[in-house]
Amino acid sequence: MNQAECTQQTSSQAAPTPPAIRLGNIDKSFTNGNQTIEVLKNVNLTVSPQAIVGLIGASGSGKSTLLNIISGIMKPDRGQVCIYGAPSEEFNDWRSVSYMFQDDRLLPWRTAIRNVEFALEADSMPKNERARRAFEALQLVELEGFEDAFPYQLSGGMRSRVALARSLVTEPRILLMDEPFSRLDAQTRMLMHEELLRIHQLKRMTVVFVTHDVAEAVLLADQVAVMSPRPGTIREVVDITPPRPRDITRPEVTSTMQRLRALI
Amino acid sequence: MAKNSTELIDAKLPAQPLFRGLRPDLVGQRLVLVVAVIGIWWLSSLSVPHYILPGPARVWDALQLIVTNGDLWNNLGITLWRVAVGFTVAALIGLPFGIVLGANRRAGEFFEPVIPVLNTVSSAIWAIFAIIWFGISNATTIFVVFMTAMPLIITNVWQGTRTVNADFIELAQVLRMPQWKVMTKIYLPTILPYFFSGARLAFGFGWRVSLVAETIGSSSGVGYRLRQAADLIRTDQVFAWTLTLVIMMAIIEMGMMKPLENYLFRWKKDAEAQ
Repeated sequence: MNQAECTQQTSSQAAPTPPAIRLGNIDKSFTNGNQTIEVLKNVNLTVSPQAIVGLIGASGSGKSTLLNIISGIMKPDRGQVCIYGAPSEEFNDWRSVSYMFQDDRLLPWRTAIRNVEFALEADSMPKNERARRAFEALQLVELEGFEDAFPYQLSGGMRSRVALARSLVTEPRILLMDEPFSRLDAQTRMLMHEELLRIHQLKRMTVVFVTHDVAEAVLLADQVAVMSPRPGTIREVVDITPPRPRDITRPEVTSTMQRLRALI
Repeated sequence: MAKNSTELIDAKLPAQPLFRGLRPDLVGQRLVLVVAVIGIWWLSSLSVPHYILPGPARVWDALQLIVTNGDLWNNLGITLWRVAVGFTVAALIGLPFGIVLGANRRAGEFFEPVIPVLNTVSSAIWAIFAIIWFGISNATTIFVVFMTAMPLIITNVWQGTRTVNADFIELAQVLRMPQWKVMTKIYLPTILPYFFSGARLAFGFGWRVSLVAETIGSSSGVGYRLRQAADLIRTDQVFAWTLTLVIMMAIIEMGMMKPLENYLFRWKKDAEAQ
C-alpha cells in the first residue's frame, strides 16, 4: 500500500487534515490447529482527529483484534491501516499512539511515578525530564501525593488513574483503550469517565475505545461503531448527538442506547 | 487530590523502613532460650569428661584463645573467601543459564533432567572428585561450593522466568520497547526475588559444604581447623569453631540478607505485616 491510497479519500473530501485513523477492507483470521476462524471481515472505519469513537459489539466480534490492528502490534491479513494519512507500515511515530489495557497492568515493583515513567523509557530521555513529565501526568489524573506508592498500596480506581497517566505521559495524538474501566466498580467507573472527558477537553487526543457497555459508549463517544459477531464487520456507525455532560436518564440518551442495543 | 474519599482508605503510604523495629517481647523470649540452652549445656558438662563435652567456660577460653592469636580471623577469612568465590561463579553462570533455560523452551526441555541429577549428587562426592582433580588447594573447596550452589540458583531462576507475566511483555510491545530493555526492565525484576531466594539457599549450603571440603581437601580454613582440633581431641576448640560459624551465619543471614531482601522486595504485599 502506498501513501496515495491513504490520502485518497481525504483529498476527495477536501479536508485539510487526514483522518486520524482510516481502516480499509480489513480481514483477519486466526488458525487454531486445522480450524480457521474469521475474526474480521471487510472492516472499514474512519476516525476523524480529536473524535472519541466507541467500538461496541457482542463478545467475539473482534473489537480487541481491531484495536490491536490499529495499534500496529497485529498485522491484518488484508486491507489498509492508515494513521494520520500514512500507511501503517510506514508510520513511524508509534510513540504518539497510546494503548490502555483492560487491566491496569502496573508493574508491581515500581512506584506510581516509576510506572508512569515506564512509558517514556523506550527512548532515551534525561532522568529528571522523565520524572518531571511523569509527575505532570500524575497531576493530570489528580494523583498528586501518591507518586511513591506501590501498586498494592493503591485502590482499583487509583491504579486505573496511574494506568491512564502512563498512557497520557507520552502526549499521544491517539489513545486506544480496550475496555479500560470494565474491571472497576460502577461508581469508580463513572468517575473515570468524567476524568477521561475532562482530559480530552484539555488534550484533544483522538480516542478509540472498545466496550461492551452500551451506556459507557453513549456517555463517552462522539460516534459509536457497532460490530456484528463473527466474522466481525462494522454494522453501522451511529453519531451520538446529545450534548455533554450526558445523563443516561434523559430521553434522547435513552433512545440512543435503545437504538444501539437493537443493532448489536 | 482524588475526588473519591473511599479511594484514600486503601492507601497506606509510608514505605517500609530498611530495618523493622524489634519487638521487646520477642527479644525477651530469645534471651530466655539462649540462657536455657547454655544452662542445660553447663549441667550436662558437669558429669562427663571435658574431651567429650566441654563446659561453657572452657569453650569460652578456647574461643578467646583463637580470637587473640588471630587464628579465628585468618581461617574464617580464607573460608569466607572460598565460599564467596564459589558462590559468585555459581551466580554468574546460574543466572544467565537459568534465564536462557526459562526463555527458550527447547533448551529448557533438553536440559530439564540435568538439574535433578546434579542435585542428587552429594557434596561429599563432589569433594572427593575435587581432591582427585585439584588436590589440596583452594580450588577444591571453591569447586564443591560451586557445584552445590549452581543447581540451586539455576532451578530458582528457571522457575522465576516461568512467572514472567505475558501481559507486561505485551505492554512493552505496544510501547515499542527494544528487546534488551524488556529483559532488564521486565524479566530481571520478575526473576530477582527468585534469584535472591535461590542465592540465599545456595550461600547457606555452600557455607556448610565448604567445611566438608576443607576437612578433607585443605590445609587451612575453618573446616581444616575443626578436623585438626578433633584429631587432637581439643573438643573445646571444636566447640569454639562451631560457635563462631553459627554466629557468622546468623550475622550474614539476619544482619545482611534479610534486611536487603526486605528492602529490595518492599513492593510485595507483606503478608507478615498483616
